[in-house]
Order: sequence, then structure tokens, then C-alpha cells
Amino acid sequence: MTTSTTSQRGELSSTALALIPIAIAINVALGHLVQSVLKLPIYLDSIGTVLVGVLLGPLAGAITGLLANVIWGLTLAPSALPFAAVAAVIGLIAGYARQYGAIRSWWKMALAGVITGVVAAAISAPIATYVFGGVTGAGTDVLVAMFQNLGASVLGASFMQGAVSDPLDKTITYLIVWAIISALPKRLLARFGATEQ
Amino acid sequence: MQRTGLFIERAGFLQRLNPLTKVTGALLLIGATFLLPAPLTGAALLGGVLLPLALASRVARRFFDVLLKTLLPVLISLALVQGLFFPTSDPTTIAVGPFLFRRAGLQFALDTGSRLLVVAGAPLILFQTTHPGTLVQALIQSGMPRSIGYILLVALQLIPAISERAVGVAEAQRARGLETEGNVLQRIRGVLPLVSPLIIGALVDAEERAMAIEARAFNAPGPKTWVRDIPDPPAERIARITMLAALGSMVVWRVMMFFFG
Repeated sequence: MTTSTTSQRGELSSTALALIPIAIAINVALGHLVQSVLKLPIYLDSIGTVLVGVLLGPLAGAITGLLANVIWGLTLAPSALPFAAVAAVIGLIAGYARQYGAIRSWWKMALAGVITGVVAAAISAPIATYVFGGVTGAGTDVLVAMFQNLGASVLGASFMQGAVSDPLDKTITYLIVWAIISALPKRLLARFGATEQ
Repeated sequence: MQRTGLFIERAGFLQRLNPLTKVTGALLLIGATFLLPAPLTGAALLGGVLLPLALASRVARRFFDVLLKTLLPVLISLALVQGLFFPTSDPTTIAVGPFLFRRAGLQFALDTGSRLLVVAGAPLILFQTTHPGTLVQALIQSGMPRSIGYILLVALQLIPAISERAVGVAEAQRARGLETEGNVLQRIRGVLPLVSPLIIGALVDAEERAMAIEARAFNAPGPKTWVRDIPDPPAERIARITMLAALGSMVVWRVMMFFFG
């Protein structure tokens, strides 16, 4: 049984093929559930992406993030499409976190979450500025207005808004993924090749 | 949550076109809004291209319904945030009631808003007039990896099922006394009991699905055949090349303007 993401010909393995669509659906369903049932000021819409990245590596993580936003944009919110590149990078970083053995302890996962959050904020800012004019129609727009009022440019305010929201969101995401993977049966983990923990 | 995605089953102009032609057209429209001057380009493309296309494809009502529903919060926020707080040295203001709007900020909001309508509208009309299966098949036949197409189609089908299960998990945990109201800390504590049953269940599903994929030799080498044919007349191929050439010349024009303008 193959445990790596790709088979010899560079095609995705059947495990990756099975897991990625489910992870995409989890991103969309949970993003919606958390925002509508728990009404938290975070997004939690990249749990599936981080899960795939940590289980199957950078390539599978990046594909999950990219396609999740493409599908989200295609079905529910066209505004998710321009951020597909950010989602891909989130999956990529999660894959590298796996290679550095982040999954072995909760604080390494938290650290990976903070790093992912800062990088995500840095890439989102230019997209938010040039495509959306700094706002997205969500509650976080208040932060953009506040930073601009304190003298920041549109790009600067977009980045600062992301720098406040994203590291918190991504740290919680990584910790949730850590808690879930720790609770998984060994047999299931073997299937996803994350046996080194 | 929507069940079937954006596609509307109706006979019209865009529905008869090859999906690749529509994708190329959408790219051209998006490119044009960023390369040509705003807000005129956005308004012209919305009124002069997207509106006639929506009418000819008989999706006009649903098109503007979805477009406005998704963009209205963004547009309102754009006008308020940038109209009131745009960083500018231009002191001109426009008074609306008790508020003083900055003129440069409103101009910025208008430019961005006109662009946004086209950037969201072009893919929207593509997906409203193209069945996801047809779109994915056309993309695979023109070189996209088959595995990407498979992931896209399965994810589209799974989203309603997983959403339903998510709601079921939330109700079950509430019945066991999970707090979904109260202060932020209490609600954050509610995340894990909601999320973990959903994901662990999904991982078990993924294992079964992986076995099914292996049993059907999805990754087997060799050529594959298609059940359906997607027509691609020569006129559409020429149209695609023309659109790409137009997009290319706009890019060249913008670069020339940047260096010599």
C-alpha cells in the first residue's frame, strides 16, 4: 500500500484523491457552521487544508487549499476566488510543518499556526487592496477603517487587519488539527502515512 | 446552503458554447477591467457585455440576483470605509447627512466597485450556464490532470452531505448540553466537540473511498475514453485565439504605457 502523496508517475495517490475532496467539503461546511452556530470572530475555513497538508504533505495541502477556494467561489461566494492563492500557500506551509515534525507536539503546531497566519496576512493584503479595495463585507472591515483612521494606507490597513485576525485563526486551526490527529486510531493514521509520530 | 451549485438548466446562447470559449471570455473580461481605465470599463462591460449575454442565455434575473446578493455587503462596506477613512491629501469632502465623505475615497470606492462587479460577474455567468461535469470534462480534455477534475466533481457533490452532517453533529452535541451561546471563551470551547466527530467520520469515509478508487483502477495508465462529446466548432477556436490575442495586446499596451507613456 502506498503511503506517499504521489505515485511513481506524479499522479495523486488514491488516498490523496479520496481525502482531498472530503477536506474541501469540510472547509466549506465548517466555515459555514462555525460562523452561523458559534458566531465566532474567526473563520476556521482552512481546517481541511491544514489537515491534508499535515497528513499528506505540501503538494496535497496546496491543491486542497486552491481547489477549496475555487469551489467556494463557484458555488456560494464568488469573493473567495481571488484568495485561492492564499489558501494554496496555507496548505503548502502545513505540508512543510509536517516535514519539520510539527505534529509531534502541540506548541510546534501553535508556532506553525502563527507563521501561517502572518504569511497568509501578507499575501492576502495586496489581493484585498487591489481587488476589493481593502474590505470584504465581513465584520473585520471595522479594523480596516480603524487602521486607516490612524493614518495607514489602504494596503497597510489591510495587512494590519490580517495580522490581527489570521495568526489567531490559524493557531486555533492547527491546534484543532493536532487534537484530532492525536485522537485518531493508529490503523487510520497508517493509511495516511503519518506513522512517524 | 445551496444544493446544486450555480448551474441553471436552460437553453440559450452561452449554454450552446464550448466551456473553453466561455472560460477564455471570462479571463478576457477580468483582464480588461484591470488593464483599462476604471470605472468606465467596468460599467461598459457590465452593461454592454454581461447584461446582453445574461439576457441571451435567459439567466438575467438569477444572474443579477446572485451578483447583488453576494456583492452588496462588500459594496456598502467599500463606500462607507473608503468614503469616510480613505487616506488622502485631497481635502474635498461631500456632506451626506451628518457624515463628511472624502471625494477621493468615493472615487476609489467607485473604481473598485465597478471592477468587482465584472470580476465576480464573469465567472458567475460562466458557472450559471455551464454544467460542472461538462466544464471539468472540457478542461481535462484540454490538458488539466484527471485527478484535479475528479477532486472538483466529488467535492461539489460532498458539500451538501457534509453540511447536513455538520448540522446533525451540532444538534447532537447541543442535546448533550454543549454551550453554543455565552461569551467568546465558552463558544471557542464548543469548537472541538463540533469539529472532531465531523472530521473523524470524514476520515473513515475517505479510507473507504480510497479503496473504491483503487478497486476501479482510477490511477491505471493508458488512454481513457469519454461517454459524451463536447462540440468545438472551428469558429469557436478562432474566437478563443482572438480573445487571447486581445488580452495579450492589452497587456503589451499597458506595459508600453508604463515605460514610455
